[in-house]
Amino acid sequence: MRLLLLNLTRKPLRTLLTIFGVGVALLLFCFLETVLNAFNAGVNMADASRLFVQHKESIIFELPMAYRQLIAQTEGVTGVATACWFGALSQEPGSDGKKREEFFAQFATDIEDYLRLYPEVQVPPDQLAELLSDQMGCLLGAKIAQRLGKRVGDRLVLRSTIWTQRDGSSIWEFNVRAIYTTDSPTFDQTMMLFPFKRFDEARQFGQGSVGLYMLSIDDPGRSGEISSVIDARFANSPYETRTMTEKAFNLQFVGMLGNFQLLLRSIGTAVVLTMIGTAVVLTMLLVSANTMMMSARERTREMGILKAIGFTDGHVFLLLIGEALVLSLLGALAGVGLAWLLANVLHFNPKPDFFPVFYLPQESILAAVGVAAVTGLVSGIVPAVTAMRLKATEALRSV
Amino acid sequence: MNAQPIIELRRVSKLYHKGDADIHPLDDLSLTIDRGDFVALMGPSGSGKTTLLNLVGGLDTPTAGEVLVCGQNLTELSARELARWRCDHVAFIFQAYNLLPVLTAYQNVELPLTLLPLTRQQRRAHVLTALDIVGLSDRLHHRPDELSGGQEQRVAIARALAADPELLLADEPTGDLDAHSAEEIMALLVTLNRQYGKTIIIVTHDPKVAAVAHRQLHLEKGVLTLDVDTLEKGA
Ligand SMILES: Nc1ncnc2c1ncn2[C@@H]1O[C@H](COP(=O)(O)OP(=O)(O)O)[C@@H](O)[C@H]1O
Ligand SMILES: [Mg+2]
Repeated sequence: MRLLLLNLTRKPLRTLLTIFGVGVALLLFCFLETVLNAFNAGVNMADASRLFVQHKESIIFELPMAYRQLIAQTEGVTGVATACWFGALSQEPGSDGKKREEFFAQFATDIEDYLRLYPEVQVPPDQLAELLSDQMGCLLGAKIAQRLGKRVGDRLVLRSTIWTQRDGSSIWEFNVRAIYTTDSPTFDQTMMLFPFKRFDEARQFGQGSVGLYMLSIDDPGRSGEISSVIDARFANSPYETRTMTEKAFNLQFVGMLGNFQLLLRSIGTAVVLTMIGTAVVLTMLLVSANTMMMSARERTREMGILKAIGFTDGHVFLLLIGEALVLSLLGALAGVGLAWLLANVLHFNPKPDFFPVFYLPQESILAAVGVAAVTGLVSGIVPAVTAMRLKATEALRSV
Repeated sequence: MNAQPIIELRRVSKLYHKGDADIHPLDDLSLTIDRGDFVALMGPSGSGKTTLLNLVGGLDTPTAGEVLVCGQNLTELSARELARWRCDHVAFIFQAYNLLPVLTAYQNVELPLTLLPLTRQQRRAHVLTALDIVGLSDRLHHRPDELSGGQEQRVAIARALAADPELLLADEPTGDLDAHSAEEIMALLVTLNRQYGKTIIIVTHDPKVAAVAHRQLHLEKGVLTLDVDTLEKGA
């Protein structure tokens, strides 16, 4: 065992290079995983215990407010919240003094109903009380609040691309009354919520209609059944519905935002990144495999010595495999550790507005360590088997 | 001295196929060596000396015949059993020292002991004793590249002694050394034979080295050509 570790110190440069190689490969791998995870987060944050009801044709059409009562009465539905997509841009002066419009998600919703539906969202009670007592109030996610530099008590000005006020203005003003946080790593902390009542009264058109009903149900296993019951209830009415799981909704929502281009570019980027990543991983694998084979060739003689001393073929095999494993796992420690530090501790996020949720999931860490272990085994197996088969007499003869 | 010989070779042959040609490093060789003996194995290069040593040490197996060492018929053992047997009964000393470069003198000597059921303290005692016998107690933590050739060979001898084997097999141990270091090594081997009762077989080309032995065996093309008992005149 000690021999194993000491052998690694023999060529410190080469050992370090190998560790570095594996490390860089896995750093990239983890980065990739984080980005892909960010793409999927919107979908993943969905919970099958929640259903979304929208207009049968498209999310851009609205449903009557009267449906709320009927949906709430459906067997299996435990809670309902209404929501409208607000589709606005922030109107904050940037660092250069010029107006900077930033895109993020806003919903007009019944805040209390919403919070009942999403128990993972945490709002300090005193802030919540303030929020509920202010018509003009709004609730900001901790991350978007930080990005916009907003604190409780600040004013927030938005320009909606969809909704105008009665006077025809698309500029809407809010008071930041509360900021939410969450323990759920997948829940989007870049949303803004404000009271549906104020929205409905102030908007120029569309009063009495709702973009979306969000429901909680008692049994996730019955989501299909409950969806059918609701949709059947409104079949043949002027406003037919389509009920789906939150996950399905989020998927179509991404597309409906008109962000096809963004989506395609993102997918393109992801593909390119994957390819680069794969190439790097393969290169590193070859490099390290070669390193280990080389070192074994040099060490043929030493393996002969060990056997002459009384080490069995199995010992020699384990020694070489062990060395390869330790090397690649050290690399994994470096690479994954760095990625983890960047994403999960320092919260380094290259594009916060694209990726509201940006972290390295545990499965990816495990996958990376797995890749490293396999790399180690694969690169170690050839020299290890060779050394195992080697006869001591031959090994010692080869001076 | 024990009546039963420590080594007995019965009609041993070793055969290699090289291309179409068969090479017979050893050809129908029978031989016994007594416990406590000091044997010099001589002969021209390629005469089969190393092959013979490897067979006796259980590093290699004969094509035909039987090899009995320390009362054990080696031809009956599996590769694994042979490896285990080696650490208990024999130790090799090579011309090229064959120390592991990453390990210190102490660790090199300790290495074969890690295969035995010994505690840390027991191992330490063995290592220190062995290094003391070869006179290197002050070089415990030096690496091979920090030692002279003679010192390296002494570490190798200490490693051979560590597990206290009955039989030491030395393949041209002084071949790479200057005359002075060679004399020191030979003196050490004589001590090991006389004081510690080790049976020693040493392959050598050097008549001066051979003169130290009790018995000289001459090999030529795999056949014993001369067997001289030098005990009377050598002593
Ligand atoms: N693995 C092997 N394959 C083929 N020939 C070998 C092998 N090992 C030894 N020989 C041959 O056997 C003969 C005896 O070798 P060896 O015992 O090393 O001689 P010595 O030690 O007396 O110089 C030589 O001709 C050598 O080439
Ligand atoms: Mg030889």
